Amino acid sequence: MDVFGSFALILAFICAVYAFGGGIAAILTRHPLLVKSTRQAGIATCCLIFISTFSLEYLFFSDNFSAAYVVAHSNRALATFYKIAALWAGQEGSLLFWSFLLAIYVFSVLIAYRNKNGELMPYVGVILAGVQIFFLTLNNFVASPFKALAVPGAHGAMDLVARADGNGLTPLLQYPEMVIHPPNLYSGYTGFTIPFAFALAALLARYPGEKWIHLTRKWTMIAWGFQTAGILLGAHWAYAVLGWGGYWGWDPVENASLLPWLTGTAFLHSVMMQEKRGMMKVWNVWLVFTTFLLCITGTFLTRSGVVSSVHAFAQSSIGTWFVGFLAIIFAVCLVAYLKNRDYLKSENQLDAIVSRESSFLFNNLILLVSCIAVLSGTLFPVLSEALSGSKISVGAPFFNKVNIPIGLLLLFLTGVGPLLAWRKTSVESLKRNFAWPLMVGVVAGAIIFLLGYREVYSLICFSLCFFVTATIVMEFYRGAKVIRVRSGASYLTSAIELTMRNTRRYGGYIVHMGMVLIFIGLAGAAFNHDVQKEMQPGSSMQLGKYKLVLQSFDSKPEANYTGLRLNVEVFVNDKPLMMLYPERRIFETNGETGTMVAIYSTLREDLYVVYAGQSPDTKLPVIHAYLNPLVKWIWFGGVIVVFGTLVALLPNRRAVLVLAGAKQPAEEQLVHGMTPSVTYREGHD
Amino acid sequence: MISLQKIRRPGLLLLPALLCFGGALPILSAFADAQQLDHTHQLGMKVKCMCGGCNDSAGGCYHVGGAFSGPCDTALGMLKKIDERIAQGNSDDLVVQSFVQEYGQAVLTEPPHSGFGRVAWWIPALALIGGFALVLVVISRWRKHITPEPALAGAGSASPISRELLERARAKAARDTED
Repeated sequence: MDVFGSFALILAFICAVYAFGGGIAAILTRHPLLVKSTRQAGIATCCLIFISTFSLEYLFFSDNFSAAYVVAHSNRALATFYKIAALWAGQEGSLLFWSFLLAIYVFSVLIAYRNKNGELMPYVGVILAGVQIFFLTLNNFVASPFKALAVPGAHGAMDLVARADGNGLTPLLQYPEMVIHPPNLYSGYTGFTIPFAFALAALLARYPGEKWIHLTRKWTMIAWGFQTAGILLGAHWAYAVLGWGGYWGWDPVENASLLPWLTGTAFLHSVMMQEKRGMMKVWNVWLVFTTFLLCITGTFLTRSGVVSSVHAFAQSSIGTWFVGFLAIIFAVCLVAYLKNRDYLKSENQLDAIVSRESSFLFNNLILLVSCIAVLSGTLFPVLSEALSGSKISVGAPFFNKVNIPIGLLLLFLTGVGPLLAWRKTSVESLKRNFAWPLMVGVVAGAIIFLLGYREVYSLICFSLCFFVTATIVMEFYRGAKVIRVRSGASYLTSAIELTMRNTRRYGGYIVHMGMVLIFIGLAGAAFNHDVQKEMQPGSSMQLGKYKLVLQSFDSKPEANYTGLRLNVEVFVNDKPLMMLYPERRIFETNGETGTMVAIYSTLREDLYVVYAGQSPDTKLPVIHAYLNPLVKWIWFGGVIVVFGTLVALLPNRRAVLVLAGAKQPAEEQLVHGMTPSVTYREGHD
Repeated sequence: MISLQKIRRPGLLLLPALLCFGGALPILSAFADAQQLDHTHQLGMKVKCMCGGCNDSAGGCYHVGGAFSGPCDTALGMLKKIDERIAQGNSDDLVVQSFVQEYGQAVLTEPPHSGFGRVAWWIPALALIGGFALVLVVISRWRKHITPEPALAGAGSASPISRELLERARAKAARDTED
């Protein structure tokens, strides 16, 4: 099966090369058969990548320990569930997995648009094939996951061997979230290839209008949704597995996932400027290019070893390939832009400074500044060493100091943006739209302050959360009220109807609401506290209102590891609340250990108990307990964000058209301008 | 359009927002007296654990995958040194500087505000200021190019509308009110 998978990968590479070269020829000659055959070559490339990936999975499931990659990342006792995750546990497999996910996207695009957009699709096909060629080159010639296990034999030759068992999967990956976190994150990374391909294709082909935007909007949202879910699942995994009490450590690999998310978020907002007003075309094209380049940069950072990270793959020379690919992509984008930039001329001008358009500009500015801050901070140790000869570390304190104010500014704009009208917002409209939300924010801030809560950033954050929530509630309330008046339905039914009529807009508000909940959870981190104690059975420790009593500790052998478990009883006001079982797992195959954190989670706080290890002197267990306020709001917010994204992807139930009155205006006015008949509700659209 | 006056019960707007976070207010008050990190731990957060196997601060070392999750021996040693130096009456700056002398600037968890380290702080600030200026320039350029819309032909008189124009208007309105 390893030969089969390897052969499929080689064939995939050949097909991709044909799709690329033939595609260019098809663009030049416009020969229909050539167009068709290159598209089919693209589809064949994807199918062969699927076959190759399933072949590798088969090697894992069949415990084929003649394959070096399987030996390195699996063993017989490994649970079937985790044999799926073993696919992306190492450099080679994860690169194949990248190709696999990209192939799903490419396959979907080539099938979905096989009879549409005849002018654009050959370009799209060529660009997608180009990206696939790069990854297939790595899969075939640089980091093949199908290498046979070999040992030095007689006469200096390598002898192929098979091992009785493998080394096993690293314990950190033996956690259910690790089966879903990487696929989500990789789906985000790879998904941004589609809008990139369409944007570059539209530029190269000088494709008229904003059609490429309409075509790729949903793909961008899908990629963004996966990226968001991937980041949050990764944060939850870090929280539940690493045992340090936190969920985000500003590690270079974590930062790498955040970078394209920030520019992708900026694009999802600024794209509306192009759709509605024909503005910011240059900006949007470069945002898409940048997002894709950052996806590749993130992959480069994770895999090259250029920055040190606990999440990174082993150091290798593969980084050179990524640098080369980045350089080629950037050069292609730059040349395409310089050659066809007149195609990106703005169709409209800004009518007023206080408008939705301005808010989008500032929203994009803040997101980009955050992106620059994170990128520069991540690369600064390398840059400082190269430029000044002395390595300067950049850790969490720097990122927190820089990004917290930026995040608060962004949260503020999340509330402001939807309240501003397109083109121009009048003073009356500002008063009407901002009065209640501002009042809610200020009153909430004052109450929180009077309750004795003084941490400045958190205080501002909570006030802004109330402000933004009020704006979202107002938006739903106003829209639902109109439907309610007409239909007589309840507010809830009307709000659902409203959402289904304009899924993108109200789905977006749901996403904003999710972000508010995430911000609440993040603000709670200012009040974390923890306690660590060496304990013997019967002894206790106090943390906030919780008293933790160690009842006993034992060890339990399992198929793949031995679990050292503590039985900790939790009391509140001397009344028993529950039992918690923090655990250390020792994996026999590689001697590594893993943490299973015990968490009692409520909306108010998480009681987070870690079996930190045994004291080297007394051999008694050491318990590290944390009290982390409001963490659950982050995960709940994440679910809301993903739900909102899904809602935004749904088609509208029916188009919203507000034609007021029977009086008909003049033709030109009706078509080109803001007229009394086509009502732009200020602060709504 | 819905005006504020038309909302007969404005409390309706306030209520859901407060309901959303109704539980949050008492929760927040409970954290006002939350314990702060002890002094040693606080200073430990300012210096990196120099074991070479993690990216953590000495105060926050948790050493993933180690036999003991929590400060590793190196981090524990550094925390012990901090304890001793505080006990000797050294100021916070002096304690941190003693580690810089021992390990170089790489021991700091955030770039220093002097020398090349300043560049790390300047980059986000310059990006914000430069970006803000750029946005203002873009806005002013867009504003300069505004040309007054031509007077409407036959404005004031209701001229008949062709089916095609009506469809175009509908399409435009549908597109513009989509979000």
